Amino acid sequence: MKPKPYDSSQAADLHPKIHAHVPSEPALRVKALETLLVEKGLLDSAAVDAWVEAYSDEIGPKLGARVVARAWTDDAFRARLLADGAAAIGELGIGGWALNHLKVVANTEAVHNLVVCTLCSCYPHGLLGIPPAWYKLEAYRSRAVRDPRGVLAEFGVTIGDEVRVDVWDSTAELRYLVVPQRPKGSEALDAAGLAKLVTRNSMIGAERDLLLGAGGA
Amino acid sequence: MDGVHDLGGKLGFGPIEVADEGSPFHGAWEGRMMGIARAISRPPDWNIDKFRHSRELEAPVLYLTRPYYDQWYKAYACMLVGSGVVTLDELASGKSDGSTVTGMASPMSADEVPEAKRHGAGFDRPYDGEPRFSVGEAVLTRNVSPVGHTRLPAYARGRSGVITATHGAHVLPDAAAHGEPRAEPLYTVRFRLSDLFPERQGSLDQVHLDLWQSYLDADR
Repeated sequence: MKPKPYDSSQAADLHPKIHAHVPSEPALRVKALETLLVEKGLLDSAAVDAWVEAYSDEIGPKLGARVVARAWTDDAFRARLLADGAAAIGELGIGGWALNHLKVVANTEAVHNLVVCTLCSCYPHGLLGIPPAWYKLEAYRSRAVRDPRGVLAEFGVTIGDEVRVDVWDSTAELRYLVVPQRPKGSEALDAAGLAKLVTRNSMIGAERDLLLGAGGA
Repeated sequence: MDGVHDLGGKLGFGPIEVADEGSPFHGAWEGRMMGIARAISRPPDWNIDKFRHSRELEAPVLYLTRPYYDQWYKAYACMLVGSGVVTLDELASGKSDGSTVTGMASPMSADEVPEAKRHGAGFDRPYDGEPRFSVGEAVLTRNVSPVGHTRLPAYARGRSGVITATHGAHVLPDAAAHGEPRAEPLYTVRFRLSDLFPERQGSLDQVHLDLWQSYLDADR
């Protein structure tokens, strides 16, 4: 039998049935799902292993930090990055999950950028890895668009009255990367050294002033 | 839909747990669920909007209290059962009842992951027509309350903004979530924070949203 067309409105009726049927423990639910899909020939556990390995180690904020450091050291690249983020990271061999419509926004003395997804949890996975827990939780999703300065204060970031905060709500398939400002006193560092200063939170906008000698991404 | 998922501007969720958890997954099952979502063989009509609408239709109390990747599990469970690919009993037991589905691609192998992780999906589509708005134009978001899926958040309905970028046409989530693949011009729209939330009068801050053409009217 072929799969039936799926209209997602059906989920309203399916959710309570699923909730009542399956084990309540998430780990058991997911284990049963994986076992079932493998038995039905719809999943290869070795491929799941490979994705977990990739997102545990290789794909994460280090990739974003490399892009930021390049933007700090190469003005022509920075211009291309801000004009067409997806094409510019492609030059560095970076692409993947949620990166086809990448929009890059840069902090300046006058502007601070903050990224959120109020409707779900959209995030540039292929560039920053798995989003931090706070990014996916209700407090951040509800407040970032209404009280961005209060949110930033909870991250220890004080924004002066002269600085405008620009919040980017990821409502479509565009994904956002913030280029933080290059720290003062970092002139002697090369791109590899600079990348070490760039934190994950700074590329979401939850951090503003990067520190020399700080443990970065 | 006017659901609990539409969190922008809602009050009462308290402080942000800013502590860095240090690892991407908080338990092996979270990584397994992420990997299943990447590697599963899927019916041809599935798309990201069906996934999102399935996720947001979870009962509000569960949406707000179950772990994040449990929401992914629930959305995939809905899609699998709704597509007739698995049954509720199979989901519960983890054992196949022996029925098979045809017309499904063979699942991604581990050898295919290196290539798959370098390529994401594109959502821009050809569009037969001229975009209605251009950069710099003042727009008013529609004050609507759709029953189905939408990506126009409640906090930004009936508000004045300015088009700051055009993106060609992208798949319209409101249609795609319900099985109708259709594209519409997509724009970035800039709003003043003070126009979205009355207590922010005097603020110079701005909020930018990416919105489809049918969410907008000219603001004259």
